[in-house]
Amino acid sequence: MTFTDWLPTLMIFLPLLGSLLLLVTPKTFRDEVAGFIAALTIGAGLAIWRGGGSELFRWDWIPPLGITYSVQLGGVSLALALVTAFMSFIAILYAARRIPNPGPMLSLILAMETGLIGIFAAQDLMLFYVFFEDALIPALLMLAIYGKSGRMAALTKFAAYTLFGSLLMLVSIIGVRYIGGSPTFAMTDLKQNLVQGSAQTWLYLGFLAAMAVKLPLWPMHAWLPDFHEQNHDSGIPDVMGTLYKVGGYGLFTFAIPLFPDASLELRPILMGLAAFTALYAAWIAFGQKDWKRLLAYAGLSHMGFVALGVFSLNETAVIGAMYLLAFQNLYTGALFLAVGMLQERIGSLDTRVGGVMTQAGALGGLTMALWFASIAVPGMAGFIGEFSILLGAYQVFPWLAFIAGVTTIAAAAYALTAFQTTFWQARPAGAVRVPDLVHTEWLILTLPLAVAVLFGVYSAPALNLMQPAVRAVLSALGGN
Amino acid sequence: MLQPPEVTLTPLLPVLIVLAGALSSTLLGFWVSRRTLTFINLAATLLSAISLGTLWNRGVSSFGGSLQADNAALLLAFVILTGTLMTLLVTLDTAWRARVSFPEFDAMLMYAVTGCLLIAFSGDLIVLLIGLEIMSLSSYVLATLQGSRRAEESGLKYFLLGAAGSAVLIYGIAFVYGATGSLKYAAISEKASVLTPENTGILVGGALLLLCGFAFKVALAPFHQWTPDVYGGAPTSVSLFLSTVVKVAAFAGMLRVFSGALNGAPGWHSVLQVLIAATLIVGNLAALRQMNFKRMLAYSAVAHTGFLAMALLGTPQAGGAALAYYLLVYTLMTAAALAIVAALQRSEEGFSITDMRGLYYRHPAYAVALAVCLASLAGLPPFAGFFGKYLVFQAAFQNGYEWLSVLAALTSVAALVYYLRPAALMFMPDRTPAREYGLGQRAPTTLAVALGVVGVTALGLLPNIWYGWVANPAIWTLLVGR
Repeated sequence: MTFTDWLPTLMIFLPLLGSLLLLVTPKTFRDEVAGFIAALTIGAGLAIWRGGGSELFRWDWIPPLGITYSVQLGGVSLALALVTAFMSFIAILYAARRIPNPGPMLSLILAMETGLIGIFAAQDLMLFYVFFEDALIPALLMLAIYGKSGRMAALTKFAAYTLFGSLLMLVSIIGVRYIGGSPTFAMTDLKQNLVQGSAQTWLYLGFLAAMAVKLPLWPMHAWLPDFHEQNHDSGIPDVMGTLYKVGGYGLFTFAIPLFPDASLELRPILMGLAAFTALYAAWIAFGQKDWKRLLAYAGLSHMGFVALGVFSLNETAVIGAMYLLAFQNLYTGALFLAVGMLQERIGSLDTRVGGVMTQAGALGGLTMALWFASIAVPGMAGFIGEFSILLGAYQVFPWLAFIAGVTTIAAAAYALTAFQTTFWQARPAGAVRVPDLVHTEWLILTLPLAVAVLFGVYSAPALNLMQPAVRAVLSALGGN
Repeated sequence: MLQPPEVTLTPLLPVLIVLAGALSSTLLGFWVSRRTLTFINLAATLLSAISLGTLWNRGVSSFGGSLQADNAALLLAFVILTGTLMTLLVTLDTAWRARVSFPEFDAMLMYAVTGCLLIAFSGDLIVLLIGLEIMSLSSYVLATLQGSRRAEESGLKYFLLGAAGSAVLIYGIAFVYGATGSLKYAAISEKASVLTPENTGILVGGALLLLCGFAFKVALAPFHQWTPDVYGGAPTSVSLFLSTVVKVAAFAGMLRVFSGALNGAPGWHSVLQVLIAATLIVGNLAALRQMNFKRMLAYSAVAHTGFLAMALLGTPQAGGAALAYYLLVYTLMTAAALAIVAALQRSEEGFSITDMRGLYYRHPAYAVALAVCLASLAGLPPFAGFFGKYLVFQAAFQNGYEWLSVLAALTSVAALVYYLRPAALMFMPDRTPAREYGLGQRAPTTLAVALGVVGVTALGLLPNIWYGWVANPAIWTLLVGR
């Protein structure tokens, strides 16, 4: 047992440890401790990256039930874990300044980070399920403690949708093992004992129920706008919420290898649904008057793209989907924080404030740059993702690629309209003076933007990391 | 000269120790305070638990197999004693406030436990019935002891419906005897597979009547109607006892009878799955509408009955292990949740769900503990409730009841909503004055709560510390004895 074997485990549980540590830390040092732990987690991730990803680490957790603790961070999972760690760090940076008495929030951010990295690292279906549900608890608590007046309804809706999906997935997980006859729930064993025939389709549908809610895919998306709207103004819970979109990853890592025939069989329907989700969400986003709801629908639209890429089972498209999934977190998360800063200054989330740019130029400029990343302007990470998805999807179903492609135009429309009515136009007479960015706020917006630009211009490191993983997963389809 | 009968007392040891506690409560009650008696009973419970350990893997039996201390009985008895321990700890603090602080209360409680243990140790239908009646009669008294209209009403309801349930059960026993010519589980199980067609009809009838009788006792829909009224109307410490210990014992009986004696008998599986489906739907949907937290927990107990009963549809090996694991977890989490209610309520009606707003800022430790219990009840990992649920899903799924697993999954969504509402309310900031009893946080109750919370967390992270004991399939193939 070498140190590198322990690195993924360290990366997963370090934040949780920090979260518990915060409970006993004196108030004056809480921000520093939280930040230090989050930075340390990124460090662990970078160490794994430098070593080219970790090997599979397996330990029999509950032998009589065939549940193992199998974790591996490499390829796609490492990229997603790194982005998660990075954005958690940014969220902590902002929470420490913005939220009065931020102790519980910092604890919850760290607790959620553990759940999310765990989701990406898990190579055992039951372990995946455990982390999948664990990430839910801090999200619910954030909403309960820091939410707005309508949070109870939003919370119930969110939880009901999520559980509806994940419990069906649990039944599917049980089915995958018993019908396939695998000795354990570890992916390595499950892949050697695939379920055949129509049972595979049914189990895939159960699995899909959970992922479609998390992704979210139309018509399972109704929880998302309310979840974001009712969360704390700062946007910190939303950053964690956008990281929550583990559906695309779950489909990629578990659904394709375990249900190859069913994935091929259902491909046309699912791709159609994904393309529709992307376009529909962009259309709804266009009509939103609340920044948070707008961002929620924009995120939904991106996830439609991700789903399109994953469901197409085409190598280029899947790589694009994973690329988009990873880096969408950066700019959408940063946009949520920018909206939080805007709200802090003008006291509203309305998209029709007007004239903010004249007084807060840096905030406006950085927001615009982040929006460019979001609507996939070339040179930003989002472009590489969306372009690859469309390129790949075109090879499978050209018409669906076209419908999804229209979304990019719609995205430009909603993003620029909202930006224009908030930041340009005339400042209403008698409005409060808007101060520009101060202190760490600069870092909070520029760091994610810098990373998004870096990987938009120089995508090779990330692509090299993801490509072998995607090839390995798609090989399950038998050279399709 | 009268010759005493030859009886091996070793297998009876755990039962006798508890009975000694009950008798001492009855007699010593004239001289010492109730609190002293409770401490004596706590000691008896612990001793009984230790005596279980000495009987482990010995497979001894008494009365020609009518009473058997096999590993299955020991494991179930352990769960019963855990629930008893928590009940006793809670009554130390709350019996006085609930106006049931007299020695008879402790005596009745321990008699009920004696009955419960007899059910777990039963090797034939007569011992089962004796245990069941001791347990039920004591429970009727416990539910009525508090001199309030609500308690009297609930006690009477419990008694009338329980008596009807017992009558049906006895009728079922008669039928089974008629069909197989024996009351011993082992003999019934042997005969059940080689019956003439006429006798099969009688056996099916008997099995169904037994199922009805048990359905009353464990509160399977549509025989669950008494539960919310009784659990809601009785003093909270009694509700705690009824919804954990008594239910565990009734399930121990069901496991013996259905997974053991009648496992090969036809018919009852299909009826049971319908009852389970009804229970899952009715329990979960009704709990959704409750505004009183205690009543909500009562309905949640009904819903959990549905999950627990799913284990009976599995093979005895998978189902027995799942049931034994789930019962312990269920006891820990339900008892801890009700212990908190008992400590914080202003009156025995419990408190309204809206009263829980901001509890975290007034009683942080209890609020977090309650949140853990609710998360576990809802089946969220990493708490043990999740593995309990998973195990019963798996047991039913493996034995071909896929649709029931899916239904159980869907109704769990409703469960999450009603567990979540109070859990979320507790963490919402609140500026109105506190609506709970401020002085309820006391050491023994806190100990019981800690036991529950540490239990569900530890069993959730490392299920093997309990599942490792119950997982051995050999334990559950011998349910009928040798």
